[in-house]
Amino acid sequence: MFATLAGKALVPVGLAVTGFMAVCCLILYSVIRDDLHRSEIVHATNLADIILKSTRYAMHKSDRETLATIILNVGEQKGVSHVRIFNKKGIVSFSAKSGEINSQVDKNAEGCIVCHKLPVPVTNLGTMQQARTFKNPDGMDVMAITAPVYNEPDCSAAACHIHPPGQKVLGTLDIGLSRAELDRSLGMLRIEMIIFTVMSLILTIGGVTALLRKNLFLPVQRLRNYAEFSEKKNDTPPPRVGS
Amino acid sequence: MTDMREHQLPADINETRDSAEVLRQGIIREINRLNRFSTRGILALSLFIVVSVLAWRGFPFLPAPDAVTALLGKAPSARIISIVLLLYTFSAIILSLSRMAAAVEHRSSFSHVGFLTAFFLFYYFGKSLEENYWAVFGSGITILGVESYRIWTFCAEEISRKKEAIEFVTRTGRPPPQE
Repeated sequence: MFATLAGKALVPVGLAVTGFMAVCCLILYSVIRDDLHRSEIVHATNLADIILKSTRYAMHKSDRETLATIILNVGEQKGVSHVRIFNKKGIVSFSAKSGEINSQVDKNAEGCIVCHKLPVPVTNLGTMQQARTFKNPDGMDVMAITAPVYNEPDCSAAACHIHPPGQKVLGTLDIGLSRAELDRSLGMLRIEMIIFTVMSLILTIGGVTALLRKNLFLPVQRLRNYAEFSEKKNDTPPPRVGS
Repeated sequence: MTDMREHQLPADINETRDSAEVLRQGIIREINRLNRFSTRGILALSLFIVVSVLAWRGFPFLPAPDAVTALLGKAPSARIISIVLLLYTFSAIILSLSRMAAAVEHRSSFSHVGFLTAFFLFYYFGKSLEENYWAVFGSGITILGVESYRIWTFCAEEISRKKEAIEFVTRTGRPPPQE
């Protein structure tokens, strides 16, 4: 294969074109995945903010029943893996899964350690730092956001349940969203890119083969036929030029 | 006169035989050099695979990215590194194909391993090696594959030409005509 003229023409072209296409696809895939991941984080952060805003009045009024109902309803939404609110000590106060209530959250767990790795916990995180991805016990890929519930003047001054003004964070909302849909889209994109690369390879090899055959192999074949024929008969006319 | 010519002839023949032998030895040395040179592409590819294995394991002997970025400053973003990688891959393939077309003997394979290792390191210090590992690996396999093929075909053609030259020297005792 490597010794023939066709092999010498096709191997470097095929290798270079396919390799370059594959690198382009891999980089493009990485960029698209990164963009989708960022969009997903922004979407989840917005969702966490909406939940916090929706529950703010119930928290302010210390209406635990309304708060629990909101959390339960959000948790029943399709694509929501978990939703819970835990207090400053790390004890789950509200959760869509009733078994989690009053359980202690491990401060060294992924998602908690980001703020709790120092003796004094960090109270402000960027949007991207609030996110973490992991597999839940059901084997589902989950992207979770932890949004702090900040102390505000009307919380610390409320008559019902006063929080000291010096306490910056009252608790944390933790919401996890399934990544199944995103993984499915990325899987489809991967297959499309592989098909695109294979098609490019076939087109390149086909194109080069067709051009070689038309411009090189057929004229050489005609020349060989003519040479063989002229050996037998000396008065043969020369082959037509450009045919 | 006739006697003198008869005495000189064996000396001329011996001189011609010696120079033909010297020529033959020179060509054989050149063939050996080309044989050694033909493995250069494969050696570079093997070295790149070793570097890729280390990158796959996350460069366990290197300090953590945070320690290095604290010293040297923030690493460029993954997107910038990817754009540079794409441009580099394109240029390297074009250069290699041009050298192949011009039948130039060029020893560039190991420098490509250096450039590709630098890309692995930039992604590692930018904490995006996991997402971009296969892009660098694909780029390396493509560039070094084309380079290996170029070097191998160049050496194979040169060796075949040198073998014809040896036959010519053995048959005629004269140096082969220059192309």
